[in-house]
Amino acid sequence: MSDPAALVNGVSEYPVRVTLNGVVRTITVPVERTAADLLRDDLRMTGTRVGCSRGVCGACVVLVDGVPAAACSMFAFQLDGCSVQTIEGLAQGGRLHPVQQAFVDQGAFQCGYCTSGMVLLTKALLEHHPRPDRATIVEWISSNVCRCTGYAQIIAAVEQAALRLAGGDDA
Amino acid sequence: MTAAQPALHVVGTSAPRKDALEKVTGRAVYSTDIVLPGMLHAKVLRSARAHARIVSIDTQAARQLPGVHAVVTGADLPSHVMPFYGYFIKDQPIVALDKVRYVGDIVCAVAADSEATAIAALRLVRVHYADLPVAASIERALADDACALFDEAPMGMVPGYGVGASAQLRPRKNVCYQFNYRTGDAAAFAGCDHVFEDEFRFSRMTHYHLEPFVSVADVRGDAIGLWTSCQNPFPLRKELARMFKIPENRITVQVPFVGGGFGAKNNVKTEAISVLLSMLTERPVRFCLTMEEGFLTNTQHAAILRLKTGVMADGRLVARQSEILLDAGAYSDGSPLVAEKAGYRIPGPYRWEHLDTTCQCVMTNTAPAGPFRGFGGTQSSWASESQIDMIARRLGMEPYALRMRNLLRLGDAFVPGESGIDSDLREGLDVVCKEIGYHQRQYDNSGTVRRGMGIAIGFKDGGGVNKPAQARVKVSTSGDVFLQCGTIEIGQGARTALSQITAEILGVPLDKVAYAPINTDYLPFDQGTNASSGIVVMGQAVAKAAHGVRNQILAFAAEQLGVAAAELQMGNGLVIHAGKPHPLAPMVMRHYGGTGFEFSADGFFKAPSDHRAPLEAPCVFWEIGWGAAEVAVDTATGQVTVLKLVASSDAGRAINPAMLKGQEDGAAIMGLAQTLFEHMIYDESGRLSNADPLTYRVPLAEDLPREFVTITQEQGHGPGPFGAKGGGEGTILPIASAVANAIHDAIGVRITRLPITPVRILEALMTNPETNQESAP
Repeated sequence: MSDPAALVNGVSEYPVRVTLNGVVRTITVPVERTAADLLRDDLRMTGTRVGCSRGVCGACVVLVDGVPAAACSMFAFQLDGCSVQTIEGLAQGGRLHPVQQAFVDQGAFQCGYCTSGMVLLTKALLEHHPRPDRATIVEWISSNVCRCTGYAQIIAAVEQAALRLAGGDDA
Repeated sequence: MTAAQPALHVVGTSAPRKDALEKVTGRAVYSTDIVLPGMLHAKVLRSARAHARIVSIDTQAARQLPGVHAVVTGADLPSHVMPFYGYFIKDQPIVALDKVRYVGDIVCAVAADSEATAIAALRLVRVHYADLPVAASIERALADDACALFDEAPMGMVPGYGVGASAQLRPRKNVCYQFNYRTGDAAAFAGCDHVFEDEFRFSRMTHYHLEPFVSVADVRGDAIGLWTSCQNPFPLRKELARMFKIPENRITVQVPFVGGGFGAKNNVKTEAISVLLSMLTERPVRFCLTMEEGFLTNTQHAAILRLKTGVMADGRLVARQSEILLDAGAYSDGSPLVAEKAGYRIPGPYRWEHLDTTCQCVMTNTAPAGPFRGFGGTQSSWASESQIDMIARRLGMEPYALRMRNLLRLGDAFVPGESGIDSDLREGLDVVCKEIGYHQRQYDNSGTVRRGMGIAIGFKDGGGVNKPAQARVKVSTSGDVFLQCGTIEIGQGARTALSQITAEILGVPLDKVAYAPINTDYLPFDQGTNASSGIVVMGQAVAKAAHGVRNQILAFAAEQLGVAAAELQMGNGLVIHAGKPHPLAPMVMRHYGGTGFEFSADGFFKAPSDHRAPLEAPCVFWEIGWGAAEVAVDTATGQVTVLKLVASSDAGRAINPAMLKGQEDGAAIMGLAQTLFEHMIYDESGRLSNADPLTYRVPLAEDLPREFVTITQEQGHGPGPFGAKGGGEGTILPIASAVANAIHDAIGVRITRLPITPVRILEALMTNPETNQESAP
């Protein structure tokens, strides 16, 4: 990620070379543009939702080099040289990612506004901990807010996705 | 237990949500995603003063900023615009006219090329205020020397009430509305063995819907196009028509997916400003609030509840008098309706000889309070179920036994003129008691960490009052089904559940039913997505429409086949006669020719008006939430740990059990958060000290109790389609009192104020070690 301090005064735009959902793109962005605004407003990838705009609720989570990050609280130029995954890039060839499928199967969302962030958070969780115990799931999921579900069905979805990705259940 | 029903194929299955694919791939469109060509962005200047007169506003510099297209203050409102809005009372201005009444009140609105430019312009606005005394709490606002928020009573109305109920506008200074209900003879108190008086405090939460308040308005000439995150587009259309003097048929409200509401997104929120600015600029205008602004836009009602309850020595409940004071905030919003409900629900699900309840909406210099999941029932269940428990302990009775002795029976009228209770309340209580092991509880509480269990029964009337709903079902030549109704998909699963009802009645697979997008121009009228009314009110309208179209198809097919309609059935999208399937399309094409035909029928439902019912129409259904909690309380630190939480509701029949469970879970956890930590903290100066997402704490996954069980009962007595009742609010109702009752069971002290923080536990332990103390009769 680029260091904000490295930007010299007077620079108003910055070319960002980013691998977005596997496709390399170079986009010139105003220096004050957030990553969320870049995705939503400039690229019209509105699957990244913005809830609190303060990096608290996690609705806007995207994976930056595989790490969950709040797109609302990052500058777009910080994505320079990074690989970014958004919810739009998860399903492949019309097939849902196992995490997405688990969220569908377990009814792990209602209004759906937290879902993009929760799904990506879960994907990262399972990459770091392929067989997470419940405490690990709760710890990770606690970085995002869901106001609708009360979390039980989300935890169940994470458990189902973990099983499927680990090959323990190919149902 | 389920009543005998014909075999069902779609209803009762946990079919995947119809919106699942869109939501899980990020393709679902919310109002936040709407972008129109040439769209401008609105931002507003909000008062930092809790109560002040506006002496002057200088907007000159803001108007001159490049990229600014309109700047509106109270002085700039077009003369034909009616500046005030509200439900029963029109008291909230689009922008402040002469004074500001709370921190967050809108003083000036700007439309600019970007949000950043709009914000820059607002920084150039200079407002000169003259401060007024602040009343930021119920007590302050009711004090004799309190400064009135409104010098004169705003325009308002009182709806018609039935026997025993009444209401007044502005019965006294800083009270905008008072609801009263009375039945039986007050002399009943004189015959009681004991009379207990207790006071309870209820806290205030913000809805914290993740999708912000947002709308996009596109005014063209005399027509308004509006996309908004809204729970009740038809009443919103009516309110905008009145304010802007535009006919309702020139206003088109469209509602994409709504990212949560919990009551907040009713009536005008962002829409008046986006419409006004679009009107002035002749450009589409988007107005999206931040979450911080959301906190200042609509909240739950804090409350003081004073109960006087007369009982016999054997535990029979006799009479209850109650005074409820709701903190309505600075504008009335939905407060009169919430007052009506809090006042009406305070008896709880028990038999009484005499009731005398009042509920007042107290205006304070805080954010306007309005509809919030539970809608007055949360407040009244907290006080009532706490006091029921206290009374049992004072009488030396087991709280379970006191409840069982007094609960209304299945079919009993709640109060004279009301509909009958449609759940077996005892059966429900036993469900949660069994799950938690209430009767087997036995603890060694000799240490500093003590355990206890508590139970409670949350109670509210469901389905709204005098709430009509209309629906339309169409079936195409090829048998594809269109469901058109105004229930908003806000997360509750309306699209799926109402489609399941339709599919079941028409005998088609669920994927044959499409749910039409929300557009007020094309859809039949609906009053709004609230009051747990989707299944029981709209569901009945949908069921009637589906039956109507089914009858049309069968009558048509009978004619084509030359048989009696009664000999025909529908199944798997086909008309079936004597076991032989007859596809619809060939019959339609043979008869109508051309490109075919659409069968179409409308359905309507409304509980019939009846003056004998206190609220002018009997309650559609009764929404019950049974709760049980097991807690461990550390008497050294005051820390409460919920070891197990059980919450249960009665769905009558669950249309989609998995979706319903999600709602019951969510409501219970919302209730648990309110019980233990979540609340808006106002100081005496009217400042919200946790007015941002970082300091306002909502429940996270780590806040789940060690054991958390929700149980959906299907008792089968519901008035809705297939015996269904409404859901989604029941389980928020009993949680706070169940936990407080469990704490009492554990440590022998009573907490009467939410949230139940460690400090309050320690204070209670120090000041009130005596537990089973009886008040004077």
